[in-house]
Amino acid sequence: MGIISVENLDRLFWLGRYSERVYTSARLFADSFDRMIDMDMENYAAFCRQLDIPNIYSSREDFCSRYISDENDPNSIYSNLMRAYDNAIVLRNEIGSEPITYIQLSVYDMKKSKVSRAPLVGLQKVEDNILAFWGIVDDMIEDENIRNVIKVGKRIERLDLYGRLQMDRESIVREVHRLAGRIERTNLHYDEKNLIELKKLAEEEQIDYDRIVALVDTLRKD
Amino acid sequence: MQNIELTKRAETVNELLARYGVKFGIYKNNEFKEQLFPFDTIPRIIRKDEFAYLERGLKQRVMALNCFIRDIYGEKKIIRDKVVPEEFVYISSGYLAPCDGVLPPRGIYAHIAGIDLVQGRNDEWYVLEDNLRVPSGASYPMIAREICRKSSPATFETYHVEDNRYYAKLLRRTMDYVNTGGHTVILTPGRYNAAYFEHSYFAEKTGAHLATGSELMVEDDYLYFVDYSGRREKVGAVYRRISDEYLDPMTFNEESVIGIPHIYDVYRKGHVALLNAPGNGVADDKGIYYFVPKMVRYYLGEEPILQNAPTYLPYYEEDMRYVLEHFDDLVLKDVAEAGGYGVVFADRMTAQQKADFIALLKREPRRFIAQEVIDFKDIDIVENARRVPRKADLRAFVLMADEPIVWKSGLTRFSRDPDSFIVNSSQGGGFKDTWVLSQ
Amino acid sequence: MKTLQFHYHMEIAFSEPVHSHIFTLKCLPQTGGTQRIKTCVYRISPGGRVQEGTDSFGNRMLYGTAEEEHSLFLVDVTGTAVTDVQDPDMPQNTPDVSIYRYRTPLTQPGRRIGELLEHCRKRTAGMSLYDKALVYMEAVHGSIQYGRGVTDINTAAEDALALGRGVCQDYSHILLALCREDRIPSRYVVGMLTGDGESHAWVEMYDGARWYGFDPTNNLPVEDSHIKISHGRDYRDCSINRGVFTGQAAQRQSILVEVTENGGTSV
Repeated sequence: MGIISVENLDRLFWLGRYSERVYTSARLFADSFDRMIDMDMENYAAFCRQLDIPNIYSSREDFCSRYISDENDPNSIYSNLMRAYDNAIVLRNEIGSEPITYIQLSVYDMKKSKVSRAPLVGLQKVEDNILAFWGIVDDMIEDENIRNVIKVGKRIERLDLYGRLQMDRESIVREVHRLAGRIERTNLHYDEKNLIELKKLAEEEQIDYDRIVALVDTLRKD
Repeated sequence: MQNIELTKRAETVNELLARYGVKFGIYKNNEFKEQLFPFDTIPRIIRKDEFAYLERGLKQRVMALNCFIRDIYGEKKIIRDKVVPEEFVYISSGYLAPCDGVLPPRGIYAHIAGIDLVQGRNDEWYVLEDNLRVPSGASYPMIAREICRKSSPATFETYHVEDNRYYAKLLRRTMDYVNTGGHTVILTPGRYNAAYFEHSYFAEKTGAHLATGSELMVEDDYLYFVDYSGRREKVGAVYRRISDEYLDPMTFNEESVIGIPHIYDVYRKGHVALLNAPGNGVADDKGIYYFVPKMVRYYLGEEPILQNAPTYLPYYEEDMRYVLEHFDDLVLKDVAEAGGYGVVFADRMTAQQKADFIALLKREPRRFIAQEVIDFKDIDIVENARRVPRKADLRAFVLMADEPIVWKSGLTRFSRDPDSFIVNSSQGGGFKDTWVLSQ
Repeated sequence: MKTLQFHYHMEIAFSEPVHSHIFTLKCLPQTGGTQRIKTCVYRISPGGRVQEGTDSFGNRMLYGTAEEEHSLFLVDVTGTAVTDVQDPDMPQNTPDVSIYRYRTPLTQPGRRIGELLEHCRKRTAGMSLYDKALVYMEAVHGSIQYGRGVTDINTAAEDALALGRGVCQDYSHILLALCREDRIPSRYVVGMLTGDGESHAWVEMYDGARWYGFDPTNNLPVEDSHIKISHGRDYRDCSINRGVFTGQAAQRQSILVEVTENGGTSV
């Protein structure tokens, strides 16, 4: 019926952010895991540093099991997925039962990969489900505002992560433009000055990553 | 009926139920947990003619109950005519004084009634309980049917089963019929409520708006939904899934933080419809249950079509004598308890427990009803690949708009414990689809 | 008959400013029984939008929301009442009396109420309801001592009796508990009394034709010095003020009542 409460607008935004955080951190983990198999067993320390999360892990094995699926580790992929789930489950009215199923399926797949010696197989399924979730959001949700708010959450999260990871200039420029093009189409309150500065930073030869992360984190104003 | 293809597809069905998150919430050691609601693929099957009989009886019963509530909060004729003793009304915890003299939109109190029935081994149906406050459960057979049809289309080619997915339309019609002008809202206590899945599912399927108390407000004697921009949208009907006492801290429980202050005052003035009406508990009280067949005769001038389980009120001396003489054969129910609690089977008590209970019964006769133990007709479920018989009941749903309509399905709950009669999901029970045959 | 000027003043002081203060007030006396309200003016501050309504007991309600931030909420009611009006055409407000025959959590009897009742019953055999009520009232009056700070708004009749001390609310609840054990329709009344600086509570009993007031705190049948504001089954139905607000604040409520005679008795 096109009316959304303040609480649910916020949840849509965070659903977008957490689904992105699960997706991108699962992919990053996959890269890191591959290196840890036989090349650099201590690579997880660098991983934590890059993502700006505390390195509380005692070994490669400890990292691999806890970072994926420890419900008591607030930075684990599982914890972030549960935050996405907690937001999704109360948005049935806004987004519908079908999109929620993909978040639900991710939770089941995540639980399965917990016990696996080959966790990337399970994580791949989680990624597939998140991609399907985004696809169905695009395809099935009629309300443009709802779609856009989820996407803005996703874009903000991605730019934040890419900035922290100091990704290549091209990726940053692309994400800034995607975010800028999207946020203007929502009813979210955001800081226009920040957005202008972000766009400017994306034009510079030398990317100021710290500044970009700071601007992205304060872009939304509610 | 042994060869229903669907029963071979249990794995697929359960996978899909999990996918759609068909769950209920439960508190264990003060911690909230979501559990899948165990589903058994063998349906309860009700013949067309048998259901037609139930339908007539259910309509009649809900009509009479509605008349009763209107009378109790209005003229009180049934009390004056001494059909129902007044103390049964006024001491009932379901009787709410603030409802006296308040006529809801179109005079409907029990919009959505859940009537619990059981079938005896003699094939007779008995009503065990009327639920007129916030009966839950219709969403489960609704989504289960959707999934069963997906999992085993062949089954539904073979059997001619009334579709049950129109429940959403029925519900919408019921809400629209009493809407006083404005949006329709389903009010939920929030996601940590046992039936949250159902609340959000109904909102999606009916197109009503799901809201918690904090998203609604009263201003100038009307109820509004407030959106993120501060815009107010008038609300004309609220299907509230929170209990009476938490509905409005200004009239009921002052401590409630999930209600909406002054919603009751707005309702009192006829500016919004509440489904179901506050105060309905006076009619589904276990003590009042005894009087329902008398209500049918009193208000409708008809013989009741559906029977109660044989019930005794120790309040009446004659009944007390009977109860004491036949104590071991009876089940005793505390009228104030719900959800399968406060139910005791006399033959399972120790001598000491019996003596204590009888003393309590004599001290507080009004507090208990006694019923004959019905010889249930068991229903098969599949357990570890074997068919085993279990106790089951049926919650039929009657929706009241311009006339009562009985949903051609229902929630069949079964006990997973072979020795238990308690089918409530909160105590580990499961559910089945209920098929009403169309031919 | 007597003409009385009344002034009811309630203030709630908040330790910190609050806002979105939602309130329901039952503070307006009305014509009925043996009193006629000739004038009545109220003021609520901060005002905001206020609605009027009637509860299921027939009491007048004022309700609304004070949106703006405030540290003080006040209600002021002034007017003129004529008391002890004996006029059969006065509205009696007795649509249904049965509900007042049954116990509520605050008037639930225990052992002590039972004993007091036994004591009363012995002395009232064969009496009219009115005379019986006088005996009950006197017994209640003598059963506890007047004293503040021992009981609170949630104290039940039985507990107040056990404590041996209480205020008008407790006297009234004990009397109600006695009456209801005898299935006499009886109700709790909130009102004002000449010479009393606070709001007061007493009891009304129904004798089959009309309601009579009895003030067990003062051992006094209600005649011309009481002005009734509201009635219900017990204190909880009659709270003068109910409210919820947004803000972390402690609240202190103070009430000032003034009832004075104006022009002496008239005929």
